[in-house]
Amino acid sequence: MKLAKTIIMPHSVKIKRRLHISRKLSILTTFSTLVLAFGVSGIFFAMIGLNPLDVYSYMVGVYTSPTLLLKALERAIPIGLAALGLSIAFRMNFWNIGAEGQMYMGMFASTGIVLLHAYYDLIPDYLVLLLMILASFVTGGLWCGLPAFLKAKMRVNEILTTLMMNYVAMYFVDFLIYGPWRDPKGYGFPLSIPFPEYAKLTMIFGEFAYSGLLLLCIAVALAVVILRYTKLGFELKIVGEGIDIARYAGIRITKVITLGGILSGGIAGLGGLAIVSGIIGRLRPRASPGYGYTAIIVILLSALNPWLVVPVSIFFGGIFVAGDILQATLKIPGAAVEMHQALIFLFIVVGEFLKRYKITITREVVR
Amino acid sequence: MSIEWIEQVLQLTVQMGTVYLLASLGEIYAERSGVLNLGLEGMMLMGAATSFMFTLAYGHLSAILTSIIVGALMGLILSILVVDMKLNQVVVGLAMTMLGAGLSGFFTFPEVRKNLLLRLNPSLPEEVLLIQQAQKLPEIQIPLLSNIPVIGKMFFSHNLLVYFSFILSIAMWFILFKTRIGLTIRSVGENPSMADSLGVNVYMVRRMTVILSGVFASLAGAYFFIGFHPFWREGVTAGRGFIALALVILATWSPMRAILGAYLFGGVETFQYRLQLFGLGAQSPYFLAMLPYILTIMTLIIISTESIKKRIGAPASLGIPYAREE
Repeated sequence: MKLAKTIIMPHSVKIKRRLHISRKLSILTTFSTLVLAFGVSGIFFAMIGLNPLDVYSYMVGVYTSPTLLLKALERAIPIGLAALGLSIAFRMNFWNIGAEGQMYMGMFASTGIVLLHAYYDLIPDYLVLLLMILASFVTGGLWCGLPAFLKAKMRVNEILTTLMMNYVAMYFVDFLIYGPWRDPKGYGFPLSIPFPEYAKLTMIFGEFAYSGLLLLCIAVALAVVILRYTKLGFELKIVGEGIDIARYAGIRITKVITLGGILSGGIAGLGGLAIVSGIIGRLRPRASPGYGYTAIIVILLSALNPWLVVPVSIFFGGIFVAGDILQATLKIPGAAVEMHQALIFLFIVVGEFLKRYKITITREVVR
Repeated sequence: MSIEWIEQVLQLTVQMGTVYLLASLGEIYAERSGVLNLGLEGMMLMGAATSFMFTLAYGHLSAILTSIIVGALMGLILSILVVDMKLNQVVVGLAMTMLGAGLSGFFTFPEVRKNLLLRLNPSLPEEVLLIQQAQKLPEIQIPLLSNIPVIGKMFFSHNLLVYFSFILSIAMWFILFKTRIGLTIRSVGENPSMADSLGVNVYMVRRMTVILSGVFASLAGAYFFIGFHPFWREGVTAGRGFIALALVILATWSPMRAILGAYLFGGVETFQYRLQLFGLGAQSPYFLAMLPYILTIMTLIIISTESIKKRIGAPASLGIPYAREE
């Protein structure tokens, strides 16, 4: 048993691991941590002379206004896809923090297909979008498959490799867009050519939010099917319990981890596709404002449950939109959004601790 | 390419490298004791922001002191979360990075900064309140030595923090490998339960090293801002905290090797800008920018070999929270 640590001197604080975490406790803790995070952000807003209630009402306004909700939905899609990818990686205890880079590789691949079509006319119109989806999945998948393979084969720390590869991917996209992929008619701006209509995800329903939501739901269903109903999903969970256990169970570790990594990165790669082909309509440098990192918060808040990813990522998409609006109306710095997200993140993590452990404070004096 | 050009590049290499060196020194200690501090970037940003505000308000000394305090506070928060609460180090570290980025951007936003500066020092003149730059730390030329051709400027023409970081890394190497304190730290990172049974307070050691890593990261941020690039913008350190994290791996957790690695990365970055100025290989800056990360991935692969891992003494319990079994 794990217990007994003195934190505050005059009282003795005992921390015990809970044997069972009830659903009620779990939901209650999550909600109270969210409320606390909003409270602390409120203090910061008050410090710069704003009424926190005003700020909150703008934030709530994002979810009640149909036009703004659509914007929140748009942003929720790359976040949600990346988070789904993470749900697979985290399930096998593979700490993929490279969703950001995998998204950049997805953007690279989908733009590459568009350029192959536009510059060399190699691909017929009707195949472009389909190939973009495939290419972004494969490229993102390989970008995560490599660290997964290294982890499985040689036990190379995946936290560091995936993190480092984010930057490699980002600079690679920078290189392309400032160099060979720059639009020749773009007055020197670092932008690719605008994607033709049939290369955009908007072609299905007009509004990207709808087609994107469809894509996200398909991905959720896929993730659920893979995790619950396939042999691979089962093996992923066993690997997550511990590599040694999995080895005893006769699971081919290298194959499972690599495949899991490819799936994880592939879905994040689709998130990259959603950014260039859905939200922006072309490639530009630093196209993702950290969606890949937000995805980590999303998947933790969803407790690795793919279904919960949809509402939670809409919530976070809304925070991004609210940030833009607050910046424009109340002149709140853009960094406030990041701070707000970070506070939610920190409080959720602390909430995890409160869920897992029971804290009792006894009033006896310990030396 | 004149002699002056080479001298200048070498000098900048060391000055740039010092950012990485300072940040990595604390991180080496934290990782040697088994804690991965992924919050380095956020702590650097906090240090940079603090030094910016305090340089404007009260000058350089106050800036350095306050950034040390801020770093210690960030380190303390991180240590409570990962050492005492045993929360996942990756998640908490990333959260700290986001928090540092958010808070530093928030407090230095022009409107906010103006109010804060007035509260810090009401006698500040109006024009100081909204400027985006601060005064740079003065360079101290060591007489005679700094006149040596080619390498004189590289080693003997810097501000105090650069000299300090160089001496400090040698001292920290000595402490880590040649003293009892260092042995304790390394044993905690290698096998915490063994260290515990020998009477070492594992939690306390880890708390201290994590706070130390916060202090150094924040100091690195402060140095970067007032000692190297005193022009403020949001997220001014631009991911250098992660390069420092990479440097720790490249240096395989040794403060001595970190000196070489830091100047290597510093040189790579200096070249990135220089080549752009020359118009030489317009594409190359991006590939040069990737180099630290690629080198690190390769190092990670090489040191994953069991025999090499043993020889360099990679901390075996890195990233694993220690929970005492009773």
